[in-house]
Amino acid sequence: MILSENIQESLNSLWGAKQRSLLALIGIVIGIGSVIAMVAVGQIVENESIRQFREMGTDVCMVRENVLPGKHGKRGGSAGMSLADVAKVPGQCPAIRTVAPYVNLYSRLTRDGRRVPCPGLGVTGGFRDMFKVPMAEGRFISDLDGYESFCVLGHTKAEWLRAQGAGALVGSDVLFGGRLYTVVGVAGPVLSGSFRPYEINEGIMVPIRLALRLPDRPRIGAFAARMTGSGETGEATRQVKAFFRYTNRMNVDVVGAEDLVAQMERQMRMFTLMLGAIGSIALIVGGVGVMNVMLVSVSERRREIGIRRALGAERKDIQLQFLVESVVLSFVGGILGLLLGVGAVAVICRFTGWEFFVSFLSVLLGVGVSAAVGIFFGYYPARQAARLSPIDALRSE
Amino acid sequence: MLDLKNIRKSYLLGTVEVEILKGVDLHVDRGEMLAVVGASGCGKSTLMNIMGFLDVPSSGEYLFRGRSAQGLSDEELSHIRNTDIGFVFQQFNLLSRLTALDNVGLPLVYRGVPVKERRERGREMLDRVGMGERWRHRPGELSGGQQQRVAIARALCGQPSIILADEPTGALDTATSRDIMDLFASLNRDEGITVVLITHDPGLAKRCARSVCMVDGLVETV
Ligand SMILES: Nc1ncnc2c1ncn2[C@@H]1O[C@H](COP(=O)(O)OP(=O)(O)O)[C@@H](O)[C@H]1O
Ligand SMILES: [Mg+2]
Repeated sequence: MILSENIQESLNSLWGAKQRSLLALIGIVIGIGSVIAMVAVGQIVENESIRQFREMGTDVCMVRENVLPGKHGKRGGSAGMSLADVAKVPGQCPAIRTVAPYVNLYSRLTRDGRRVPCPGLGVTGGFRDMFKVPMAEGRFISDLDGYESFCVLGHTKAEWLRAQGAGALVGSDVLFGGRLYTVVGVAGPVLSGSFRPYEINEGIMVPIRLALRLPDRPRIGAFAARMTGSGETGEATRQVKAFFRYTNRMNVDVVGAEDLVAQMERQMRMFTLMLGAIGSIALIVGGVGVMNVMLVSVSERRREIGIRRALGAERKDIQLQFLVESVVLSFVGGILGLLLGVGAVAVICRFTGWEFFVSFLSVLLGVGVSAAVGIFFGYYPARQAARLSPIDALRSE
Repeated sequence: MLDLKNIRKSYLLGTVEVEILKGVDLHVDRGEMLAVVGASGCGKSTLMNIMGFLDVPSSGEYLFRGRSAQGLSDEELSHIRNTDIGFVFQQFNLLSRLTALDNVGLPLVYRGVPVKERRERGREMLDRVGMGERWRHRPGELSGGQQQRVAIARALCGQPSIILADEPTGALDTATSRDIMDLFASLNRDEGITVVLITHDPGLAKRCARSVCMVDGLVETV
């Protein structure tokens, strides 16, 4: 029999048993959805790590104060690193070329009586080059700004101000945490994730010396450093750790680009494992569901099988007919699963801040797996149908 | 055309073996119209299923167009059913999901005939049995007599050399039965198709040139 007619036939017959078909589909939908999400997440993470290297370079690392009480460390409530100490790092540690210390602020941005929560960063002039911050307008914070009340607006906050009806932003004043700042520049949008503080997009940036003198006394808990080599963090880690232990009796952790990628891969493995487990269980459940639907379909249609045999259908014609039906069934599940999987990937990307993307390969895989499930679990019922003797089939009610 | 020699068929009912056909001898000539009569349950259908290669005898020899049916593979049997035999059943046995036209074209599906050609031939066959107007209807929308006409059109569609009809009027009223019998008679007379007609109605049997009677698992010439 011609395949396209077989497909049409099977759609008719499956539509005739909607409820039963639908139940069987749930498993397939979840299974295929997980498979697609699994593959897509893997690819997204791979892309993320490539992007990571391309965006900031492989020679960046992050130095953070280890606030957990340790053998050599001070207990919590430390004063943090001093700006002077951090500034000494490139001179004292040959493996470090430049540093960009920053402090986190948290307050509200006010304009015309409207307020939004707004994070802030106290930054040095070197911050811009370290995190590759593009400027949309004006200039970035400079080390010469000293204690001046200047600020650079992050992309999102600039958008908000414009939505409030602000005119020219550069040169205007904004109220942040009860203090007036003059806007000297507006940053362009940056991709978040990696080492980049999210405040670059979401907040405002002010001179670090000024920030350190604000009433809530923020402290430097971390700084980014660019290394002299091309990304070998081992030597840099040793030198930086030794420096802080010697000057401050402080424990620090150093995280390199490859550590970040490794962490991302751990996260990915977790997702992959979870989705893989859900996916394979759901596919088995779905497959058994398909098999059940097909077995019922075969036993309900024994007479039809008999009629077709009487009219000249060979065993293989009958087998093909039922096999096509089960493949069509799980294929429909595969298509729905595709939608579910893409949705799941979108949700995961929202949570992790990864860039959403679903490749053709993962779609192809989902479609392929659903067809395979249909063939695998449809084979036995189709064979049962084909093995019926014409007279037995014809005689059944 | 058909030659049955000492055909026996028995079924195992529980542990008891019941012999339904006890050595049937029957010869059917090409172009003949033969009636097989007999009481209900005497084995007429069993015999017809064997003649139509739907079932196999327990023993005996069956020659179909001079060729022994013994040892034929399932594919070969399917092929003979497809090309040489047209079945007409008491319960019509149409596929309820398909239109009359597609039901009629079904035998051609298994010859790989494309759908357009099948429908053309299906239309011709439906016209032949006087159902040309109803090609679009599904079996559920047709009366018993109309369904049987469609079933006959289906049997004719594959241009078989023989039509095997198992109580084709068993589910129909008298007037409709007569029309169906007229149809068989004209197919036999005008197109030379061999017809074997099973019935328990002696009145219908009289309309056939020859009739045989099944009694106690054996065929007797009337
Ligand atoms: N598969 C079977 N197993 C057991 N007994 C059967 C089977 N098929 C038919 N029979 C028996 O064989 C007898 C003849 O059946 P059948 O050929 O259908 O009779 P008829 O068509 O003359 O009414 C009946 O008694 C029936 O019960
Ligand atoms: Mg019968």
